[in-house]
Amino acid sequence: MSCNQIRACFDERLDGRLAPEGQRQFDAHVAACADCRREWEAYAASWQVLARHQAIEPSFGFVERTLRRLEEPASVITPGLWRLRLLRWAMVASVVIVAGIGGWHGWQRGQEARRAQAYASVHQSDVLDEDFDVIATLDQLSGPNSHGEDKL
Amino acid sequence: MASSESDVALMQLVKEGDENAFRELVERHQRVVINVIHRSIGDAWEAEDLAQRVFVQVYRSAGRYKPTAKFTTWLFTIVHNTVLNEHRRRARHAADSLEAMTEPRDPEGVGVQVADVRTSDPATEAVERELHARILAAIERLPEQQRTAVILCRYEGLPYEEIAKVLKCSVSAVKSLLHRARLTLKDDLRGYY
Repeated sequence: MSCNQIRACFDERLDGRLAPEGQRQFDAHVAACADCRREWEAYAASWQVLARHQAIEPSFGFVERTLRRLEEPASVITPGLWRLRLLRWAMVASVVIVAGIGGWHGWQRGQEARRAQAYASVHQSDVLDEDFDVIATLDQLSGPNSHGEDKL
Repeated sequence: MASSESDVALMQLVKEGDENAFRELVERHQRVVINVIHRSIGDAWEAEDLAQRVFVQVYRSAGRYKPTAKFTTWLFTIVHNTVLNEHRRRARHAADSLEAMTEPRDPEGVGVQVADVRTSDPATEAVERELHARILAAIERLPEQQRTAVILCRYEGLPYEEIAKVLKCSVSAVKSLLHRARLTLKDDLRGYY
C-alpha cells in the first residue's frame, strides 16, 4: 500500500473498521515508513487524549427536577421560539407598512398627475380663448366684408 | 431483556402516559445525555438544564417515536437538535453566554459534580484541569456536525451508521466529518499528547 492509501485509511484503522488483512498491511507499512508512522502516531494520540476528559455525574435530584418540569404547560415556549414568532410578525408588519407607504405615494402621484392634467387643460383653454379674442379683433379690423376674402 | 429492547418497551408505556416508565428512562440515560451536552457546550449547569428539556421533549414527543429505530438514536437526535438551538441562541446573545460562563449558577443549591481530577500531586492536578478545559474548548470550537460526530464516536462509541442516522447524513459523510475533526483536534491539542 502507498503512503497516500495508508493515510486515507487512518480513520478506519482508528475505528477498527479495517478487515484483518487490511489491518496487517497498514501496521506493516507504518512500521516501515517513518513519515507515515509519525503522522499516524500523532493522529491516534490526539484522538486518545480526548478520553482523558472524564464524564461528570448528574447532580442530586436531577430525575425529580426533570419530572417536575413535565408539569410545565406545553405552551411554554422556549425563548428561541418566541424570538422566531416575533421576527415573523415583524416581517409581516414591515411588508404591510412598506406596501401602505408605497400605496399612499402612488395615490399622491396620481393626484398630482391629475392636477397637472387639469391645469394643463385649463391653461390651454385660456390660450385658446386668447386666440379667439385675437381672431375676433382681426375680424373687426378687417371690416364687415371680411370673411376671410381677399379684398385686393 | 437487552437494554435496547427494554427502552422500546418503556417508550411504549411512556406513550400511554406512564410516568414511572419515563422516570426509569431518565435514570437510565441521564448521565449520557448530560455528558454529550456538556461536551458540546462546555457549561455543566446549562448542560443539566438542557438535558431536562431533552427528556421533557422525549415525554411530549413519545407519540411520534417509532420502535423501528433504536431509542438511543432517536434520543441523540433530540440532543443534537437541542444543542444546535443552544449554540444559535448563544451566537445571538454573546454577552449572555459570557455571563453564564463566568457566573456559576446553582439555584437549588445541589452542586454540579464535576470530574474528579484530584491526585496526590497539585501540579499534576493543575495540568489535568488545564487539559480538561483544553479538550472541552477544542471540541466546542468544531463545526456543529463535526462536534456531534466526535462526541458520539469517541465518548459514546457509536458506529458510523448510527451517527449517520442522528445527523441525517450518509456514512461516508460521517467518515469525512470525523476525518476533518481529527485533523483539527490534532493541531489544537498539540503539546498534550
